Amino acid sequence: MTRIPVPLRLLRLLWRPGAGSTALVALPVAAFALVTALVLVVLAGAMTFYTAPPAEDGSTGLYQVLASLALALMLVPLATLGSSAARLSARRRDERLSTLRLLGATPGQVGALAVLESTLLAAAGAVAGVVLYAAAVPAVALLHFRGAVLGLDALWLSPLAVFATVAGVALLAAASAAAGLRRVVLTPLGVRTRQQPAGAHWLRLALGTAAVLGIVLALSLLGSLGSFLAIAAVAAGAFAAGLAVLNLLGPFALKAVAGRNLRRAATPERLLAARTVLESPKEAWRQVSGLAMASFVAVVAGTGLALMDSAASSGTDDVLVADIRTGVVITVVASFLMVACSAGVNQAAAVLDRAGLYTSLDRLGMPVAAMDAARRRAVMSPVRTVSIGSAVVGAVVVFPLTGIALVVSPLSLATIAAVLAGGIGLVWTGLRATTPVLVRVLAAGHRS
Amino acid sequence: MTIPILRARNLSKSYGPSTALAGVDLDIAPGDSVAIMGASGSGKTTLLHILAGIIRPDAGTVTYAGPSGPVEVGSLGEGARSRLRRGEFGFVFQAGLLVPELTAVENVALALMIKGTPRKAAEPVAAQWLAALGLAGMEHRRIGELSGGQAQRVAIARAQVGGASVVFADEPTGALDSQTSAEVMTALLGATSGRGRTLVLVTHDESVAARCGRTIHLHDGALLNAGSWEPRTLTTSVPAVPAAPPPAAAQQPEQRFVQRAVLQPAWDPMGGAR
Ligand SMILES: Nc1ncnc2c1ncn2[C@@H]1O[C@H](COP(=O)(O)OP(=O)(O)OP(=O)(O)O)[C@@H](O)[C@H]1O
Ligand SMILES: [Mg+2]
Repeated sequence: MTRIPVPLRLLRLLWRPGAGSTALVALPVAAFALVTALVLVVLAGAMTFYTAPPAEDGSTGLYQVLASLALALMLVPLATLGSSAARLSARRRDERLSTLRLLGATPGQVGALAVLESTLLAAAGAVAGVVLYAAAVPAVALLHFRGAVLGLDALWLSPLAVFATVAGVALLAAASAAAGLRRVVLTPLGVRTRQQPAGAHWLRLALGTAAVLGIVLALSLLGSLGSFLAIAAVAAGAFAAGLAVLNLLGPFALKAVAGRNLRRAATPERLLAARTVLESPKEAWRQVSGLAMASFVAVVAGTGLALMDSAASSGTDDVLVADIRTGVVITVVASFLMVACSAGVNQAAAVLDRAGLYTSLDRLGMPVAAMDAARRRAVMSPVRTVSIGSAVVGAVVVFPLTGIALVVSPLSLATIAAVLAGGIGLVWTGLRATTPVLVRVLAAGHRS
Repeated sequence: MTIPILRARNLSKSYGPSTALAGVDLDIAPGDSVAIMGASGSGKTTLLHILAGIIRPDAGTVTYAGPSGPVEVGSLGEGARSRLRRGEFGFVFQAGLLVPELTAVENVALALMIKGTPRKAAEPVAAQWLAALGLAGMEHRRIGELSGGQAQRVAIARAQVGGASVVFADEPTGALDSQTSAEVMTALLGATSGRGRTLVLVTHDESVAARCGRTIHLHDGALLNAGSWEPRTLTTSVPAVPAAPPPAAAQQPEQRFVQRAVLQPAWDPMGGAR
């Protein structure tokens, strides 16, 4: 008879039907599926620009640069989503693992189990993500670039690339589980015992303000801007500097807004939401920083596009302008989609983590709607601050241009505003989707 | 004879094949403090949750003699029981279960705000309660910065700040050492039966039960000494409520208590334990 290794036997015990809520397994799997599907779609989309035969007009290089830019932008929210998924599967595990240790499992066995479980969940999710990707491709194939639809053929990744992505997701989950385990061992009580909320330093404000002033000054020195390539170059410079500024300012801005909200909070949900953000402005920022980039770019690029649109130009330029606009909209929507997914994943994890607290508030008679509103507000408030704030910073950075664009092409800017509003709605929907998790947690509290 | 504030008749509750409660009758007099004891799994928590309207019994009734007439707790819907809990009842849990992001005073004020009290009005009352329970100067600490006994006193303030007529406590001293446990009990009794409110608490600790007006024992879901509900003579001193000055008619009872507690240093919530 072959002997099954201990971690595998423990795993079989834990995954027995009824051993835990199915949500505990289903949530991380769904999260990893989303991550994988988004990675594959983004990868496939970017690939079309690198593998396409060179165009006669020599625009291939420009397209590749723009595609790289879009890719770089989506990397931040995608990484956030990936780490949310990994932490979700790590967090839900901690409690059961400590129980196993009490039951006499060695730290080695428990560690092996933790890594194994996370990896298996991630792999299962990644495989489901491949299916999601395949389902999404027909829709993505309808996008127009260079005057033609992308087409199905261009979007199918090679089996090797798909396999590498699945393996990569599983590996990342394993690594993050191993790292998470060490942290759990080091600080068993983690968040609960933190003495002082992690702050955001005022120095950020000073540095950020100086940087904004510097950029505005540099731009105005450049004087009049003729060709769109010059605009593009300036936009790229402004954009890199702007992102740096946003990262400096972000946590500080969130802390300041939450502090003001705290003083004004009159209802339980507003009080709870403001305190949740203040608990860790950096963490709140990390969650939504992907939006800062996207909103900032939307305004800067949108301004450029609006100007190019209004300047009469050749046919190639028209196609290019239309393509850049498509690219900007896709980048912004994808960033919001990723933030919506990671907000949903994080909230589901947070509700499960704090099941006892929510149950106690329910017993005190706090209405479910108020608890739900509090946790949604704790995410939506930073989302609003960050997306609108970054859009404003973007507008300030290219200030004279935004003003001109507003006059000559108000519709382009209205489109950008609509895309941002839609993105905020997307995040709201992602949070809404986690309400059943809270309802289920409270229902379990009523039974015990 | 006083009308019992809580009257349970023939309460039964099963979870699948296991019977948690088997026909419990219980009357609890207003102002009494009742300790529920019994072995683990004997149904204490189940009984407490049914009395408080957190869960419904399979059979039997719980009648709460509220300010606006008797209420049949078990027959109320989810929303109505939720309203009853935030309006009339207070809760102290074993692990405190305070909101970790909020400060002590915000945690207490939250209970009032849930009932619709504006924050501006809620926080001063909450701060007075904290001071009355010996936590003056700690209002703005977060829960992680308090000791277990201090956190439990915050929980007591939260349970009573809204003027609950009945406070339910499930092993409120279960996580505390005996000295701290005695202090917390003094605070809990002083805040409840000490001012005419009712306390129902589950405990495994004889010395905690001994300080309550009455102890009932559960065994396999049934009451062992389900006899008289008249309060027995107290074996331990409960801080007496000072002879009340004629109250201003408009004042809420809890405000009067807080003012007395704050204005009269003689009322020492921790005194009995020292
Ligand atoms: N949600 C539930 N599902 C199934 N069985 C339950 C549930 N809640 C309680 N029980 C069962 O009901 C019985 C009484 O449980 P209860 O929690 O009331 O005991 P208790 O006296 O509070 O015990 P302890 O002192 O350990 O807290 C036990 O046999 C328990 O297993
Ligand atoms: Mg119990």
